Amino acid sequence: MVIRKLTMALVIALSFSLFFDFQIVRQSQAGEAPDFAQMVANGKLPPLEERLPENPLVVDFDAEGKTIGKYGGELRMLMGRAKDIGQITVYEYARLIGYDINIELVPDILESVDSVDDKEFTFKIRKGHRWSDGHLLTTEDFRYYWEDVIKDPELGRQGVPSAMLVEGEEPVFEIIDDLTFKYSWTKPNKSFLQALAGPSPVWIYLPAHYVKQFHAKYADPEKLAAMVKEANVDSWAALHTRKTRQRRPENPDMPTLQPWQNTTPPPAERFVFVRNPFFHRVDSEGNQLPYIDKLHVDIVSKDVIAAKTGSGESNLQARYIRFDNFTFLKESEEKHGFITNLWTTGKGSEYALYPNLNTKDPVWRGLMRDANFRRALSLAIDRDEINEVIYFGLASPSANTVLPQSPLFREEYREAWSYFDPDKANELLDAAGLGARDDDGVRLLPNGERAELTIESAGESTEETDVLELVAAQWKAIGIKAFVRASQRDIFRRRAAAGETPISVFFGLNNGVAAPTMSPEELAPVSPAQLQWPSWGEYYETGGKAGEPPDMPEAVELLDLFKEWKTSADVEEQTVVWHKMLDIFTDQAFSIGIVNNTRQPVVTSSNLRNVPEEGIYSWEPTSYFGIYRPDTFWFEE
Amino acid sequence: MLSYIIKRSLYMIPTLILISMLVFTLIELPPGDYFESYVAQLLASGETVDPQKIEFLRREYGFDLPPYQRYFKWVIGMVQGDFGYSFEYQLPVREVVGDRLWFTIFITFCTIIFTWLIAFPIGIYSATHQYSWGDYGLTFVGLLGLATPNFLLALVMMYFAKEYFGTSIGGLYDPEFIDQPMSWAKAMSILEHLWIPVIVIGTSGTAGMIRRVRANLLDELRKPYVTTARAKGMPEFRALIKYPFRMSLNFFIADIGSILPSVISGAEIVAIVLSLQTTGPLLISALQSQDMYLAGSFLMMLAFLTVIGVLISDIALAILDPRIRLAGGVSR
Repeated sequence: MVIRKLTMALVIALSFSLFFDFQIVRQSQAGEAPDFAQMVANGKLPPLEERLPENPLVVDFDAEGKTIGKYGGELRMLMGRAKDIGQITVYEYARLIGYDINIELVPDILESVDSVDDKEFTFKIRKGHRWSDGHLLTTEDFRYYWEDVIKDPELGRQGVPSAMLVEGEEPVFEIIDDLTFKYSWTKPNKSFLQALAGPSPVWIYLPAHYVKQFHAKYADPEKLAAMVKEANVDSWAALHTRKTRQRRPENPDMPTLQPWQNTTPPPAERFVFVRNPFFHRVDSEGNQLPYIDKLHVDIVSKDVIAAKTGSGESNLQARYIRFDNFTFLKESEEKHGFITNLWTTGKGSEYALYPNLNTKDPVWRGLMRDANFRRALSLAIDRDEINEVIYFGLASPSANTVLPQSPLFREEYREAWSYFDPDKANELLDAAGLGARDDDGVRLLPNGERAELTIESAGESTEETDVLELVAAQWKAIGIKAFVRASQRDIFRRRAAAGETPISVFFGLNNGVAAPTMSPEELAPVSPAQLQWPSWGEYYETGGKAGEPPDMPEAVELLDLFKEWKTSADVEEQTVVWHKMLDIFTDQAFSIGIVNNTRQPVVTSSNLRNVPEEGIYSWEPTSYFGIYRPDTFWFEE
Repeated sequence: MLSYIIKRSLYMIPTLILISMLVFTLIELPPGDYFESYVAQLLASGETVDPQKIEFLRREYGFDLPPYQRYFKWVIGMVQGDFGYSFEYQLPVREVVGDRLWFTIFITFCTIIFTWLIAFPIGIYSATHQYSWGDYGLTFVGLLGLATPNFLLALVMMYFAKEYFGTSIGGLYDPEFIDQPMSWAKAMSILEHLWIPVIVIGTSGTAGMIRRVRANLLDELRKPYVTTARAKGMPEFRALIKYPFRMSLNFFIADIGSILPSVISGAEIVAIVLSLQTTGPLLISALQSQDMYLAGSFLMMLAFLTVIGVLISDIALAILDPRIRLAGGVSR
């Protein structure tokens, strides 16, 4: 027995030592890009151990189903406007704290994030984490942002970002040591971490060592004046703003924490991003990421992007490609060596109709506020037909709500008034006081006019026009004559906000894969950009200075629930609130969803690895390719 | 002559001032401003917008000032060579326009030469062989070019170029030459791409040119001096080129005024379809997003070139055709 125990111990010890040996071997092999190794050999770059933080972020390749890659290659992408280089920052997706592949928040740039009741957030920086120019990332970089930008009388004129305000209260910023700092509020700030993890996050840090040269407080006045003059701007503050943009990395000299750094000043037709030698992520074997040497972002007219992609001129493309390009892309796959996968769009509904409860026309306003009228409009839509005709049956008919991939999904939300039942719709319309019809079978409004409804659209796509054409035909069967009026994005918004639009069409919920910890703001009247209740939203956003207070009990309840969510104690409470809100939102048909789970073609070169075949393509929370980590993509020869 | 030129140049000043007011008013007329369309654009891609930040940007760029103050700021800057700031590109307008201007001038120049090379021989042939099969046939081809929508022709040709010659889609050169200095290979790549826009834009212009050459030449050919020249035994070709053809060119010189602005604006729609790096698409997108200084300065440049162009063609006419008198209105 004793011997057996001993042998066991020996075996364990042996295997441990083997394991450690193995680890050590692995460590010494831990790789870096060949060109960096060369630079290290020439003494132009410190060795890898000094470039990585002591505790780098190890990406779990097994859990994410990825393969260890090889260094090298250039990733070509196409963009439609010069300012789309801001999109690269979304794809790169290095955030203080970010969503992982399961849409859960995990520290990324930061080593740890501790929150006490969502009131106190203690952040810890990875020791030895460096900017792309080799300077250490410290609390000074965060202090600079808070004290020298936000609190600066000149730079701070744009105010504290709204994610850092809780009912108007600013946080208290404290530095604990070189690597630890804290933001605290007296009330919970539920959306702070979410705002830091977003595709376009609140950038609460700046490379202080670099940007101080643009700040009047630190810079040499003469040099600064010369730079202001050279840049042809009005003040040092304008120069500071221009030189320190992080979402749009237009200044090639500005150090970054992202996997690639832009090297091309605008204007340019091609922006070249090169690998950041100090990037803080490694693969599960300890090789520094990213694998790919360079990104080439070519700016071309957005109308030729699908055609160019189809001729193999992009290695990774989804932006500016639409579902109706799919067959064309599939056809050219073999000839030009790429694969077209279909990802799921993360929107609550590909297109949704928004009855404007604040419309100026009193007759239509009355009808739009009648839940049964809205429900009737929803019931009259034959979603299966639209799905078959326009989406090859690949989408799913649904109300405008969360997708099955969301933990908050329930069948009843999807089904809410989204089945096809024209008889019931007719019944509801009769009950809503629209019983009378004229000779053409069009219903008559209470004031005797024909029920002719103009759906206003931003005119963004032909697909939208096709969907609306079907909807109009289907509504005709229940005696509502619909017209489509396509205008232009900002005119469309302006008209809807002014109440000149009785009903409009736009995308559904932006975040269709919401989790209880994410803000349910899209379900409550909180912003004038919301097309179904713009003036209630304006009332909330301006704190009652403009707009009108919501006066429908259901809308008031949604707003109250939203406020409850903001002060709720834990995830259970948040889940309860979310479900209540989804229930009201879908049952009241405040927006009329058509289909969701639509597909986005994603074109990848056939030798590009680690790009998942299926994914969720959405702005929030996946940052398009962001959570799938483009730094782990690599080219097989 | 000199006093005429000076007088005409002075007339340009009030004309340009009026145009600048008109341009500014036109750009101000549509409701909203750049920031409104910027917000709408952010919302369309799912981004949220911090209203106070937009308010700040508005103040930062002087949008809270009354229109007349903004007008003077813009005009005074322009006189000093500062064309303002493009919000969309976050760069001074001059830098945005940059290289595109040269490409546009180059393409338009090639197109004009192409148009002339085709239109003049055909026009002369049609006039001298009026109502013949050749006249009808060539005119038909020219009109066909005019009638085919440019963008459609562009798409079709782009497809065939890709399919049969392997030319990359859109742009003025292959992607590998982007931001590369000019070289033999790049020049060849440009030539490889250039013929599509030149033919597409050119075909629409040839028909008009053919008809005008034909009509003007026909007028001249019937005049007695031509008959006299023939009667005296002048060779047919010389009798055609020496006087009638020269006379028929008046319209052509008067046309220079309108060529200049088109040199820098290019053919916008074709340029968008072909993704050309010219100034046309820039102007259109600036107008769409209400990027007012970019659009305004651009339109002013066009106006300036038109005014200069008209001046040049007037002077050229006066020099080339001695029958034209400088002082008008005396005989009234």
